[in-house]
Amino acid sequence: MQVPHKEHLYKLLVIGDLGVGKTSIIKRYVHQNFSSHYRATIGVDFALKVLHWDPETVVRLQLWDIAGQERFGNMTRVYYREAMGAFIVFDVTRPATFEAVAKWKNDLDSKLTLPNGKPVSVVLLANKCDQGKEVLLNNGLKMDQFCKEHGFVGWFETSAKENINIDEASRCLVKHILANECDLIESIEPDIVKPHLTSSKVAPCWWVMQQS
Amino acid sequence: AMHISTALLFMDRNLLARKQNARLDKQNDLGWKLFGKVPLRENTQKDSKKIQKEYEDKTGRPSKPPSPKQNVRKNLDFEPLSTTALILEDRPANLPAKPAEEAQKHRQQYEEMVVQAKKRELKEAQRRKKQLEERCRVEESIGNAVLTWNNEILPNWETMWCSRKVRDLWWQGIPPSVRGKVWSLAIGNELNITHELFDICLARAKERWRSLSTGGSEVESEDAGFSAADREASLELIKLDISRTFPNLCIFQQGGPYHDMLHSILGAYTCYRPDVGYVQGMSFIAAVLILNLDTADAFIAFSNLLNKPCQMAFFRVDHGLMLTYFAAFEVFFEENLPKLFAHFKKNNLTPDIYLIDWIFTLYSKSLPLDLACRIWDVFCRDGEEFLFRTALGILKLFEDILTKMDFIHMAQFLTRLPEDLPAEELFASIATIQMQSRNKKWAQVLTALQKDSREMEKGSPSLRH
Repeated sequence: MQVPHKEHLYKLLVIGDLGVGKTSIIKRYVHQNFSSHYRATIGVDFALKVLHWDPETVVRLQLWDIAGQERFGNMTRVYYREAMGAFIVFDVTRPATFEAVAKWKNDLDSKLTLPNGKPVSVVLLANKCDQGKEVLLNNGLKMDQFCKEHGFVGWFETSAKENINIDEASRCLVKHILANECDLIESIEPDIVKPHLTSSKVAPCWWVMQQS
Repeated sequence: AMHISTALLFMDRNLLARKQNARLDKQNDLGWKLFGKVPLRENTQKDSKKIQKEYEDKTGRPSKPPSPKQNVRKNLDFEPLSTTALILEDRPANLPAKPAEEAQKHRQQYEEMVVQAKKRELKEAQRRKKQLEERCRVEESIGNAVLTWNNEILPNWETMWCSRKVRDLWWQGIPPSVRGKVWSLAIGNELNITHELFDICLARAKERWRSLSTGGSEVESEDAGFSAADREASLELIKLDISRTFPNLCIFQQGGPYHDMLHSILGAYTCYRPDVGYVQGMSFIAAVLILNLDTADAFIAFSNLLNKPCQMAFFRVDHGLMLTYFAAFEVFFEENLPKLFAHFKKNNLTPDIYLIDWIFTLYSKSLPLDLACRIWDVFCRDGEEFLFRTALGILKLFEDILTKMDFIHMAQFLTRLPEDLPAEELFASIATIQMQSRNKKWAQVLTALQKDSREMEKGSPSLRH
């Protein structure tokens, strides 16, 4: 059977404390380059990334790079609206930015849920790992535990400078969003969705899940 | 690329000129020397004469052997003579000689190349001549403007600043050498901050930096409600942000000539207004002031500028009031650019997405620095209203492009404006924006909206988020 071409548009947030490297990660991911000369983000910046997920599926990611200062909390939460997923970033060389991670996650969950009431998928990024590898090396298990407790779908050590794990982290997040969307369709139209049925409407979704 | 590098040259020279002036001032210990800077006129004249001479050197005598200064020209010019002409040489004796036919062909090819190169050179020379003439013209008019500002306007500030003539001259852009003085006068000093008060605030900030770096904690309960952790965070943020303030200028970063000044102003401000503290965006504002004023005067201008109603609303992140400003902006947006307004509405592109960056940094981050300074010039003249008028001028300038874009591309475009945004076109566009809506001026619209939102708050608090 011919599987129809499917296009997804997802809004993703990139949040975390000031100076952890949110803009650098996005530049690396979208423009494949790095500079230590980025200016501070005020308000919000944008980027668009198109992923050819599989031969039938194109995923467009709208990346919202949100200013990190805590003071802007009230102002920036309007940017959360209708996001489908998020990266929360911290800087492995600055412990305080990790301590803020739980705060960012709680803030996000309190202000944003999927239409079915579930929290959005969030991936945790331990950035600047090129500068502080030893910090996390012995903490892998603890990090797994931390992610479980706080409801992250995964975590990655990343380096925008050395281009480490950024594509992988994004794939992980998109995979979960696609899976979530399957659940959403299921909950909205429970009659149609059965894996053995060749409904063209849900086929790509299942296809993706089996692939990943 | 040529354009950008010339712009940079211009800017660097302005920066350096100011720095030198500042140093002179220090040596003479005379504080404000902008009034007494007699050599200014001579400088500009000398500059244009020098340029004229350089120009003549370059174009007047093409037969003259190139001096080391003419490297650029050498590259563009008769390079063929030195390398390509090898093709005309006979082959080395150990190889068979070139057939006459082939030699003829090579001669022809070579001559064609020379003709092409000459054409290119002529075109380039004409272009350069035009550019130089334009630069001379600009420098001369700046020189005249400096005289007018120094001799006529500044000595009679109180009576003259709101006159038609001064307002017109103001719109053209304030010459860099008097800019700081004009900004200071226009911003004023309602807060009555003295140099001594700045010294006190700075000393206190330094005390805190010391005690934080030694891990001491004697800074106790002085300003109740602001924990040591808050203050520590604030200082940490300043450090992080300074390195990200105009990073490409390389003057504010650690080890750069203006690093300590920027650090001092921001630190002193957190001591002067602990209730406001450090907020992102401030580092850009302080940096622009530092480029035009001495440290203490920059601090005075900085504190008074942030004390203006619009800046206070934004830097205290008074969300309700910010929304009121956005609503007022949208009134004038719809009035001036109804089609684009509808397009934005349709795409859910709200002002908070692009205005926040523009207002928080007063355009210093989103526009080229020299253009941003010109926006500041008129902002000092017209007040907050001009910030929103500028926003509408930008939107109008790019209306045709924006109407063809979807949400994400508009958002990207507006948060990263073209780097070569032309000053004259932008100002022409701003000039066409009417800040009148149904006979109401900006301030009236804003006040009415503020009243509305207050009443709504009273009536049904649940409606507000």
